[in-house]
Amino acid sequence: MKTAAELKYGEKGVINGIDGSHPSSRRILEFGFTPGQEIQLINMSLFNDPLAFSVRGTIVAIRKDEAVCIKIL
Amino acid sequence: MTAKTLEAEPLITLVGPPNSGKTTLFNYLSGKNYKTVNYPGATVEYSISKIQKKYNFEGKVLDSPGIVSLIPNSPDERISIDSLYSHPTFGIPDLIIVTIDASQLSRHLLLAEQLIESRFNVIVALTMTDILNRRDKDISISKLSEELNCSVVKIDGRTGNGVEELIKEIEENIINIRGKDKVEIIRFKDNLPIEKLIDFYKEIEKIEHTVIIEKNGTQNSGNIKKANEKLNVLNNRSNNHNNTLDNTTLKIDRILLHKTWGLVLFFLIMSLTFTSIFWLAQPLMGLVDDLFGYLSTEAITLIGNNWVGSFLANGVISGTGAVLVFLPQIIILFLILGLLEDTGYLARGAMLIDKPLSKIGLNGRSFVPMLSGFACAIPAIMATRTIPNKRERLLTIFIIPLLSCSARLPVYALLLAFLFPMNKSWLAGLVLAGIYLFSIVSSAIVAGIANKFRGTIIKEEDNSSFILELPTYRVPKLQVVATNTYHSSMAYIKRAGTAILFLSIIIWFLTYFPDYNPKIDTHNLNQEKAEQIISSERLSNSFAADLGKFIQPIMKPIGMDWRVGVSLIPTFAAREVFVSSLALIFKVTGDKGTLQTSILKEMRQATIAGTGQKLFTTATIIGLIIYFIFALQCISTLAISRKETGSWRIPMLQLILFTSGAYFLTFIVVNGLRFLGIN
Repeated sequence: MKTAAELKYGEKGVINGIDGSHPSSRRILEFGFTPGQEIQLINMSLFNDPLAFSVRGTIVAIRKDEAVCIKIL
Repeated sequence: MTAKTLEAEPLITLVGPPNSGKTTLFNYLSGKNYKTVNYPGATVEYSISKIQKKYNFEGKVLDSPGIVSLIPNSPDERISIDSLYSHPTFGIPDLIIVTIDASQLSRHLLLAEQLIESRFNVIVALTMTDILNRRDKDISISKLSEELNCSVVKIDGRTGNGVEELIKEIEENIINIRGKDKVEIIRFKDNLPIEKLIDFYKEIEKIEHTVIIEKNGTQNSGNIKKANEKLNVLNNRSNNHNNTLDNTTLKIDRILLHKTWGLVLFFLIMSLTFTSIFWLAQPLMGLVDDLFGYLSTEAITLIGNNWVGSFLANGVISGTGAVLVFLPQIIILFLILGLLEDTGYLARGAMLIDKPLSKIGLNGRSFVPMLSGFACAIPAIMATRTIPNKRERLLTIFIIPLLSCSARLPVYALLLAFLFPMNKSWLAGLVLAGIYLFSIVSSAIVAGIANKFRGTIIKEEDNSSFILELPTYRVPKLQVVATNTYHSSMAYIKRAGTAILFLSIIIWFLTYFPDYNPKIDTHNLNQEKAEQIISSERLSNSFAADLGKFIQPIMKPIGMDWRVGVSLIPTFAAREVFVSSLALIFKVTGDKGTLQTSILKEMRQATIAGTGQKLFTTATIIGLIIYFIFALQCISTLAISRKETGSWRIPMLQLILFTSGAYFLTFIVVNGLRFLGIN
C-alpha cells in the first residue's frame, strides 16, 4: 500500500490507516491524521524532506521516515 | 454571591494546544503581571498570577506549556502533563480553562475531550471565531456546550471581548464545584491504544457537524448525515467544510518554501537577524560599558582607593556591568525571534534546515539557537527550549559554546592585528571570516562525534522526530512579543545574573588581594600613567598572578608563560577582558585610542624569561586563536547551561572537554607550526 511519503508534489490522498507500530504514530494521529481524512502534499523541503501536508485545515510538516506510517488508500 | 464567600483561593489552570490563543487569554486574565516559576528540578516553566483586580474575582491563574494531547511524547511534555494532574506546588486545579481555536475545531477539540474524560472541571474558551466567520461559517456556542457538557465562552483575542463573561462562568463553576463532592481525576494511560484516539476523533467529527453553521443559515449536518455518523470517519471525503486552508498562507509559502528561492530567502532572513543582533546591540552595549565604567570611577573617587572602594568599583559595579552588557543583545534577539515566530516563519525555517541538521543528531529547531550562539551563548541556550526532543535539545546546548560569540571578537581583532600589518587589514578580515566558518564546521563535527557517542555524552534517549505545525501567516502582535521578551530578559538577569555577579566578585578578590602596595618612583610621570603602572604592579603580585605562575608549567608546552595565564584567568568572567588584562600585565600605559598599538608593541618585544625566546610569535598567536575558538572560558555560559539542562553534568563536560580539547589543539598547532619552521 502507498504511504504519505510517496505522494507527489501537490498530490492528494485519503488516509486509510496509521501504522500503530511506528513510534511517532500517536503523535501523528494527535495532529489530526485520522483514517478517512484527505491530505495533500503541499510542500517539500530541501532534499525533499521533511514534507508538508495539509490536514484538517492546517499545514503540518513531517519527516519522511515518519510520514511512512500514514497509509494512503 | 461574591468572591469573599469562597473558602480558599481557587486555582485555575490554562491549557491549550500551541497557537490556540492561550497566552493572549492569560495576559488578559493576569493583566501581564505574572511571575515565572520553574517546575522543581526541571526546565519546564509556568507563569502564575492572581486574576486582575478589575474583574473582582479572587483566584490564581496558572499558564501551562502548550500541549496537543494528554499523552506525553517527550520528557518535558511528561512533566507538563504530570503537573497538570497535580502540580507539586499548587496541587490539583479546581478548574481548567482550555483554549480552542474555532477554525481548528476538529484538531483542538481532542485536548478538551481528553480533559473532560479525565473528569476535570472544564470551561472551553473558544478563540479565533473571526477567522471562522471570514470563511462564511459560524459556531453554535449553546450546541457545543451541550455536546461537551461544559461551559463554552467566546473570546476575542484582539479586543478582549468575552473575558468578563468568562470570569462570570468561572465564578459560577467554582461555586458549583464547591457544593459538590470532589471527583477523583483519572489519568490517561501512556500507552493508550491508537484505536481509542481514533474513537476520540469520531466523537469530535460528530460534534463538529452539529455545531458548525454555514453563514447562509443552514446547519451543516442534515438528518441524513446524522444517520451516517458512525461512517463519517471513514467516508468524510466531502465533509471538509471546516478544513479550508488559508489562501494567503499558501501563496506566501509558494515563495518562502520554494526549492531555490525559499533557501535563498531563508539565508537572507537569518543573516539579517544575525547582523542586526550584532550591530543594533553594539552602541547600546557601548553605552552600558561606558555607564558602568563611569560609575566605577565615581565609586573610587567617592570612597577612596582602598579595598572597600575597589570592591564596589571593580567587584560589584563592574560585575553588574558584566551582567547588563549582554542585555541589549538578549532583548534584541528575543524581540526579533519572537516576531519571526509570531508571523509563523520560524516553523518554516526549522522545516527547511531539518534534513542537514538531522544528519548530525540535531533537529530543524536547533538552527535558531545555534545562530544566536554567534551573538552570545546565554540567550542561545535559553532559546533551545523550543526543541521538544530532549536529546536533541541537550546536544544543541552542548555545542552552542563552540560557536564564536561576540565577546571573542575583540580578542580575535587584537591577535589578527598582531599577525597582519596595518596595510593588509583586508587579509585580517578574510581570516576573521575564516575563523567563523571554522567554528561552524568544528561545532558540526563535535555534534556529529557527540551524537556517535550517544549514551556517554548525552544520556537521554528520545525518539527523534520532526512533526511541526506550520501556522497560518499573520501580523505579529508586538505587545505579546514585548511582554515575553521582558520576562525572558528578567529571567536572565535573575538566574544567570546572580551567578555572573558572584563569580565577578571572586575574580575581583583574586586580582585585588593580597593588597600589594608597590613602591614606584612616580617622579616624571603624570597621574594617569602612574596609576596604570601601580595597577599593573598590583596585578603581577596578586593571587591571580600566583595562580598564573602556578599554571606556568601548563602554559609552557603551548609556548606561553604565566603572563598569558594571568590574562586568561579573568576571561572566565568575560572573554573580552583578555585584551585589557594583557594591557595591565605588560604594563601598557597608552591612552585609550592607541591602546591596541601599544599592546602590540609590547607584545612584539615580550620574551620568555630566562630563554630570551620571543613570547608572541606567529605560532603562539595562531595557537591562542585556536584556544579561544574551542575553550569554554565563560562562567555565565556554565551557569545558564546548568540551569537549562537541570544538572551539572553537561556544563562540567563542556568545561572539561572543550577547554582540554582547546589546550590539546593549541599544543599541536603551536608545536606543529614550529616543526614546520614557522615561528
